[in-house]
Amino acid sequence: MDAGLLSQYVMNGLMLGMMYALVAVGFTLFFGVLDVINFSHGDVLMVGAFTGLATYIGLSELGVAWPVLQVGAVVLAATVCMALLGALIARYLVLPLKSAPALNTLLITLMLGTVLRESIRLFYPEGANPKPFPALLPTDAYRIGNFNLRVDNLLMLLAGLLVIVGVHLVINRTKLGLAIRAVAQDEETAKTMGINFTLIVLVTFAIGSALAAFAGIMNGLYYNEINFGTGLLLGVIGFSSAIIGGLGNIYGAILGGFIFATLQTLGAVALPFASAYKDVFAFGVVILIMAWRPTGLIGEKVSERV
Amino acid sequence: MTGPAQSVLKAERLAKHFGGLVALEDLELEVRENEILGLIGPNGSGKTTFFNVVTGIYGADQGRVTFHGNDITNASAQAVYRAGIARTFQRSRLMLELSIFDNIMVGNHKRLNQALWFNLIGRGAFRRQFEESFEQARALVQTFDPPLADRMFEAVAGFPMIDRRRIEICRALISHPKLLLLDEPSAGMTHEETTELMDDILEVRNRFQDLTIIIIEHEMGVIERITSRCVVLNFGRKICEGSYKEVAEDRLVQEAYLGIG
Amino acid sequence: MEQPSPARATLLPGILGVAAATVYLILILSVESQTGIALLLAGGAVVILAAAKLGALESMRRSFLVSERRMDLVVVAALLLLTAFFYEDHFILLMVATVMTYMVAALGLTVQFGYAGVLNFAGAAFFGIGCYTAAVLTKNTALPHLLVLLAGGLMAALIGALLLLPVLRTRGHYSAVITIAFTLLFKTFLEVNDVLGGPQGLRVDGMRLFGWEFNSNIELGEDLELSFFVNYVLGALVLLAFAFAFVRRLERSWAGLNMDAVRLDETAAACFGYNVARWKITAFMIGNFLAGTAGALYAMMLGFIAPTNFTFGDSLILVSIVLLGGIGNPWGLAVATTIVIVLPEKLQIIQEYRFLLYATLVILILLFRPLGLLPRPLRSYFPGWQSR
Repeated sequence: MDAGLLSQYVMNGLMLGMMYALVAVGFTLFFGVLDVINFSHGDVLMVGAFTGLATYIGLSELGVAWPVLQVGAVVLAATVCMALLGALIARYLVLPLKSAPALNTLLITLMLGTVLRESIRLFYPEGANPKPFPALLPTDAYRIGNFNLRVDNLLMLLAGLLVIVGVHLVINRTKLGLAIRAVAQDEETAKTMGINFTLIVLVTFAIGSALAAFAGIMNGLYYNEINFGTGLLLGVIGFSSAIIGGLGNIYGAILGGFIFATLQTLGAVALPFASAYKDVFAFGVVILIMAWRPTGLIGEKVSERV
Repeated sequence: MTGPAQSVLKAERLAKHFGGLVALEDLELEVRENEILGLIGPNGSGKTTFFNVVTGIYGADQGRVTFHGNDITNASAQAVYRAGIARTFQRSRLMLELSIFDNIMVGNHKRLNQALWFNLIGRGAFRRQFEESFEQARALVQTFDPPLADRMFEAVAGFPMIDRRRIEICRALISHPKLLLLDEPSAGMTHEETTELMDDILEVRNRFQDLTIIIIEHEMGVIERITSRCVVLNFGRKICEGSYKEVAEDRLVQEAYLGIG
Repeated sequence: MEQPSPARATLLPGILGVAAATVYLILILSVESQTGIALLLAGGAVVILAAAKLGALESMRRSFLVSERRMDLVVVAALLLLTAFFYEDHFILLMVATVMTYMVAALGLTVQFGYAGVLNFAGAAFFGIGCYTAAVLTKNTALPHLLVLLAGGLMAALIGALLLLPVLRTRGHYSAVITIAFTLLFKTFLEVNDVLGGPQGLRVDGMRLFGWEFNSNIELGEDLELSFFVNYVLGALVLLAFAFAFVRRLERSWAGLNMDAVRLDETAAACFGYNVARWKITAFMIGNFLAGTAGALYAMMLGFIAPTNFTFGDSLILVSIVLLGGIGNPWGLAVATTIVIVLPEKLQIIQEYRFLLYATLVILILLFRPLGLLPRPLRSYFPGWQSR
């Protein structure tokens, strides 16, 4: 394999890893704060992408053509709307089921994911078909030997990195982040210390969902296409990544995301006959990792008091 | 008179940490046959952690636990139960949606035939075991509270805390364990209820000849009344040992509880 | 001494209830016009609400509880009557048989999730494994079809065990992720494998039992010809009866108790000697065996299977059935399966929206009535048993 092709694979792996990491961080935030598995997360990503698309279409109708404004508006609309959606999900579906068995929350969010998915398929104009996503970032490319380094990919990687760093800073350097960590560690004590539990939960879900929206836009820009079913597989991948990294641990989620992307890339290289096999390979390895390290490579948070 | 009583459970230099937190440190403890040993100490002193280490929920970081001379350090929870140690939990862990009978049968796991063939095909033999177990469970519940024994097939969720604690103790006793670990059985009870419960425990102890009990309690009245000996923990270490009277007068113990310098 | 009056009194509400349900079902299945169906549905809802208010539902419930054996026979009789009524109608009989096979799969899911608490979002995939096993075996071997059914079940159980084994000692959400991933990949795997027919699917031979061809119409005398689907309905009924009895007996034994214990509190169960992993994998394998066997029969009945039958959405339908019916209650399951399968077939507008509809229903159920339509009663090892 020549260096150009290798670089292509590496770039692809990095892009996927970034997307998976963003989704995984959301899962891990939800689990960390509320001990909750939110299976609608992947579909929120998808709805975020469609929101971005709708925003773009709306802007185009209004005659806005300036790319920077378009990108900004699309990202803003998607993240803000999904943040709201995330908060609503937390408020009306997750928090009411707080005292029910944990599996009920998993089920209800899974069903919500289906509702989101089917709603887009049925009610978005021609939602059942893949929709082209506009190329909002500069499409120039630099040729380095055999390898095509695209500016838009580079920009997205950078943006993704900034977002992750931003999340890290928020969680570790702000009062809000401190409150989130406090609630994640010990809900009772956090409440007695005056932290508004409900608010923190809503904010956490909002942040996680905004991340998903961002990943959804990235997904759309990268593939130049979105479709109603993307969220399902991305959600499962994101969740698996969070698990192998260690549920509740943000760095684990990021690590897990990149590990999964690496596995997929290796699978694609080793088993080129059908793209389905790269996923089978990746999930196969993931299951083995789960068997080997059930609490994740970096460590799941321990939540049970005996 | 027979010779010195046999050692039932012995912990030597037992240690358990959770990251930087020291839960148990250099713990030496011995319980002899037929004793009722009180395990007391302020909150967070490691009492429940000790139970959890003994019953295999946590592994020990250092030290040894022996049961009737057999090393059970780091044995699985299942192995500890099969060896003859049963327990109750600080936060009552009954299966609320199941009936009283079902909950007690959970405790009877090792004495019931679990083979699928027996359960599905050999219904005659299963019925006999079912009826036997029912009688045993009912007799046990009767010791604690006769009205309860008439409601064996009602869901536990419908009963008040004192009944739930009784059921939990029955669950621990049904398999005839040699060592019973009671974790704050009187928590959440009124004074009268606690006295009743202790009466029942003493009665049960008289019926099961070879039963040894370790009881964690905060109610000193209970400790004074039913234990022959106490061990006091503070910050995971044993700070005092002796009869209740001796222990109550010990300065270290008073400091631990009241913080008097 | 016999006391006929009280016994008959408790039995009566149950018989009347089943009779009413059968008549209602016959009506709904016969009517073609959409407005007719809508009216019937509305009417049915009103009648049920009224019955609930008047305590009729409660008396019916007691019939089922107290005179269980007899009610079983009543229901079987009702099903036979239903089949006889539609003896010529291929389509309706196919639907009836489909409901029954789906029920067997749903019973399997009940054992896994309702009893042992092991989430399985690959129900349709394991059903599909049974289908494809039947397809491959009937085409390439001369294995007697009864054994083909068994093989379908065993294959599903085996593959399920392989899937779950690595994550047995982990918490519930692991089996959730793995089964979702499995469902998604199962469909794509089938589509890229031409050996298994690829996206176009595979033909499956019709069932043949001791020389009796299931795929040919039954002729009684010179004038009466029954649709060949009657064979499959009866076959499915036998399978369903076995599965129903099996699952019910499982629940009423120490094995059933063990599964409940493992679901409700793993830590406490471990402290009482439970081999938690053993009970989880047992439940999982039993459940998948049922799903696979049902799938094998279904494939032979349909004569043709394709990957599009086994999507994630279909697995979610199975999960929805279990949740709507009342987790762990086989009779609730029967009602839920019938509603979920028959409704979209009769009310055409729902067809397209059925995933959305059922997902929304489940959300509502989980929020407001988590125990489902017919909550599971307390375990009664020997119904009617009284202690001395």
